[in-house]
Amino acid sequence: MKKAALGGLVLALGLAFAAVPANTLLYMQSADIPTLDPGATYDTASGALVENIYETLVTYKGKSVSELQPLLATSWTISGDGKTYTFTLRKGVTFHSGNPFTCEDAEYTFRRNLVTNSPESGNWFLAESLLGTSANAEDDPSITWDRIAKAVRCDKEGRLVFTLPKPDPAFLAKLAFAGQSIVDKKWAVSLGEWDGTEKTWKSWVGKDLTDSELSKKPSGTGAYQLARRDANTVVLTAFPKYWGGKPKIENVIFQIVKEQATRIEALKKGDADAVETGPRPVLAQLQGVPGLKIMDDIPNNTATAIFMNQKIGNPEYLGSGKLDGKGIPANFFADINVRKAFNYSFDYDRYIKEVLQGKGVKRTMLLPETFFGYDPTIPTYTYDPQKATAYFKKAFGGKLWETGFVLKATYRAGSQAAQTAMEILKANVEKLNPKFRVELVAKPWSDLLKESRTGGVPMIIIGWAPDYADPDNFLYTFYHSQGYYHPRSNCSDPILDQLLDQARQTTDREKRKVLYRQVGLRAYEVACYINVPAGLGFIVYNEKLKGVEENFNPMFSNYFGTYFRNLSK
Amino acid sequence: MLAFIVRRLLALPLVLLALSLAIVGLLQFLTPEQRAVAFVQNEQQLRNLDKVIREKGLDQPFWVQYSNWLKEALRGNLGFSKASNKSVVETIKERFPATLELALFASVPIIVIGIWLGTLAALRKDSWLDQLARVFVVVAYNVPTFVMGILLLVVFYGFLGLAPGPGQLSPENQIALILNPVPRRTGMLSVDALLAGNWPVFLDVLRHLILPVITLTTVSSATLLKVTRSSMLEVLSQDYIRTARAKGLPDRVVNLKHARRNALLPVITLASFTVMGLLSGAVITETIFAYPGIGSWGAQAATLFDVPGIMGFAILTAIVTVVVNLATDILYALVDPRVRYD
Repeated sequence: MKKAALGGLVLALGLAFAAVPANTLLYMQSADIPTLDPGATYDTASGALVENIYETLVTYKGKSVSELQPLLATSWTISGDGKTYTFTLRKGVTFHSGNPFTCEDAEYTFRRNLVTNSPESGNWFLAESLLGTSANAEDDPSITWDRIAKAVRCDKEGRLVFTLPKPDPAFLAKLAFAGQSIVDKKWAVSLGEWDGTEKTWKSWVGKDLTDSELSKKPSGTGAYQLARRDANTVVLTAFPKYWGGKPKIENVIFQIVKEQATRIEALKKGDADAVETGPRPVLAQLQGVPGLKIMDDIPNNTATAIFMNQKIGNPEYLGSGKLDGKGIPANFFADINVRKAFNYSFDYDRYIKEVLQGKGVKRTMLLPETFFGYDPTIPTYTYDPQKATAYFKKAFGGKLWETGFVLKATYRAGSQAAQTAMEILKANVEKLNPKFRVELVAKPWSDLLKESRTGGVPMIIIGWAPDYADPDNFLYTFYHSQGYYHPRSNCSDPILDQLLDQARQTTDREKRKVLYRQVGLRAYEVACYINVPAGLGFIVYNEKLKGVEENFNPMFSNYFGTYFRNLSK
Repeated sequence: MLAFIVRRLLALPLVLLALSLAIVGLLQFLTPEQRAVAFVQNEQQLRNLDKVIREKGLDQPFWVQYSNWLKEALRGNLGFSKASNKSVVETIKERFPATLELALFASVPIIVIGIWLGTLAALRKDSWLDQLARVFVVVAYNVPTFVMGILLLVVFYGFLGLAPGPGQLSPENQIALILNPVPRRTGMLSVDALLAGNWPVFLDVLRHLILPVITLTTVSSATLLKVTRSSMLEVLSQDYIRTARAKGLPDRVVNLKHARRNALLPVITLASFTVMGLLSGAVITETIFAYPGIGSWGAQAATLFDVPGIMGFAILTAIVTVVVNLATDILYALVDPRVRYD
């Protein structure tokens, strides 16, 4: 008897381990999932689940990043002056809690986002459109309840009306962001979240919703509802009352597995349908593994640049601070000849070959090529030592070529790509003149961010990932003198400012397209940045999984680039 | 003995106070910006760094920051841990049982192999068993945990398919738990599943424990084995052992009662360190096998400068240390009647 029991245990322990069931999607990632409350969602790990639990008013049309289609809204109208948006909402939609979806929920959601607008969230860009400022009421006392209530309200017909202080062509795209998903008002209030009234709004200003009660017990209208969550696992199940019909994948498991080797093994064994694979060199381990499908050449929707700061704030980086061959003056990059010389010194093709392993795109402007407004016909700089020499000789009236310089360039410690890019630039610049020296400084992320945001650093390499699919999110950020990256580059050009302002004021796509082409041409002319080529992406997944290639859209936060309801096995 | 235990436990709050002061003090060497970056996940959020600093009071003087923390801590609120995106208390409640579970399952083989094999190796010095034990010690002692863990994973999971993948449960049981949840009584999934009579989940958790336990056992039992063996060898050469044998006592009594009991004192000290280490979380093993314990959380809190997280982790570790030390002292008294605390 004892032997039999022991044998049974051994058998039970030693059974073959089945792969992921056909009705289940299993994904392993290294990142933790900070929140399941849309009001605090501003990272891809949270977004990947939030976009499947909740729904936004509009979403991306298929694989396009420039066209939108209705989701929880069925249609919308925009007033002639571009300031009023009226959304007709979908009928017969139920939240996971069982509550019906009404305009009141949508109104509550956007008001809640405007009221809280916490520093951790992405609600600043909603506030920018609806209140004319990215701040919350704590930082900008001019924000009153009246302004918030007027900005978003339900009309008598149960339609949702947004009233903007001025036109914003990016407004619709902002509504497709997972952080603007509609929450269940009744449910949220019953959990102790903000009650949606004027009486209490002040006490919710700036509140961090990351660990809110709604995050713990979410209720959305999405095709999946939260079933279980523990320290390393999130399990979602299909919502039987989903308005769009029951999805084929019934269970979704997200497992946090920090160790890359473990994730790769699980993928190879079929114990995961997909995993966070890490950078391109990993692909070699996965090519030819039976049962896996590789989707390569996925467009990159981020933009990376080498910044040339025209007003260097931190004297520590300047060496002598003069043009004497022992340092650089604070306005070193203010001379356009220096910037052009650096642009001609970067070997774009070598970067694509060595860092991106041949899978890269040279960009004409700091905007992903999939975005509306990108113009491939704009000229670009190429690696040309002769032209670089000529511009260096012209710089500072010829003095720079005689004295030489010592430049300190920084990059994020541990980033192989950034380091190699800087090394390529350093080698090429130093080759031109023995008096030229570029010193590379690796900095931890926190230090790099801290120093660069105050404009202290002469040269850094950083990128930008989109908040919403509108060219303004990239071009204004990089090129406008009020843009987010301005303090790091101090690139101020009145023509660029004017073009970007004009593009913000019109909702006419054709007009905007022309304006953005002009932005591209002018940006080439003023050469504020070195446009770093963009690496193409890839994903690897279980070949039984269908619906990825047909639907993949890089604006989605999740690995599969589409709603889980579009997938099947 | 009771007075001794009470005295030791009374000292605990003082230890915790000193520890928390030291941590808050040390963290002051980092600028508010460096600590605020813990709350930033992307470039965009950085625009609000000043707001984060203000809201979290990171620019307040040391004493203000400390007294704020202490006031809340005394009310049972240890703050919000950015590393787990949960309150510290909730994180500990959720993760410590998993660590405890892993430690319980691992300490048995570690101690048994360490002490049993160590004793045997000493008794049969220079035999093949002794040689084997010595080779095991050299290999296990010199192979880092992450190499051992990944090696076991690649061979037994990846190549041979004899062990399950990462985490605590296979996908089918993850789903089964939705329909048939296991009530959380102890927080240790294996124990809770057993109490609920849910055999598939219980066996699945056991299966998932195999590789982490083997990893920890290999790495941790080597030192214990080595110390037991040398301590036994030393005791076995003592005069009183010879006398005992001369008196005609059976080998078993001499070896186990006279020799091993005396040889155990240094072994207990070492074993207590091992248990302490296991209870503070096996960072690398937890990371490789995606085990949701406190070790991986503590490590993440440290890299993020997550002050409440670091503090909570340190306090938990301090409590574990005090309790295990106390247990060790009691064990000394039990093993060696000469040890008296009164």
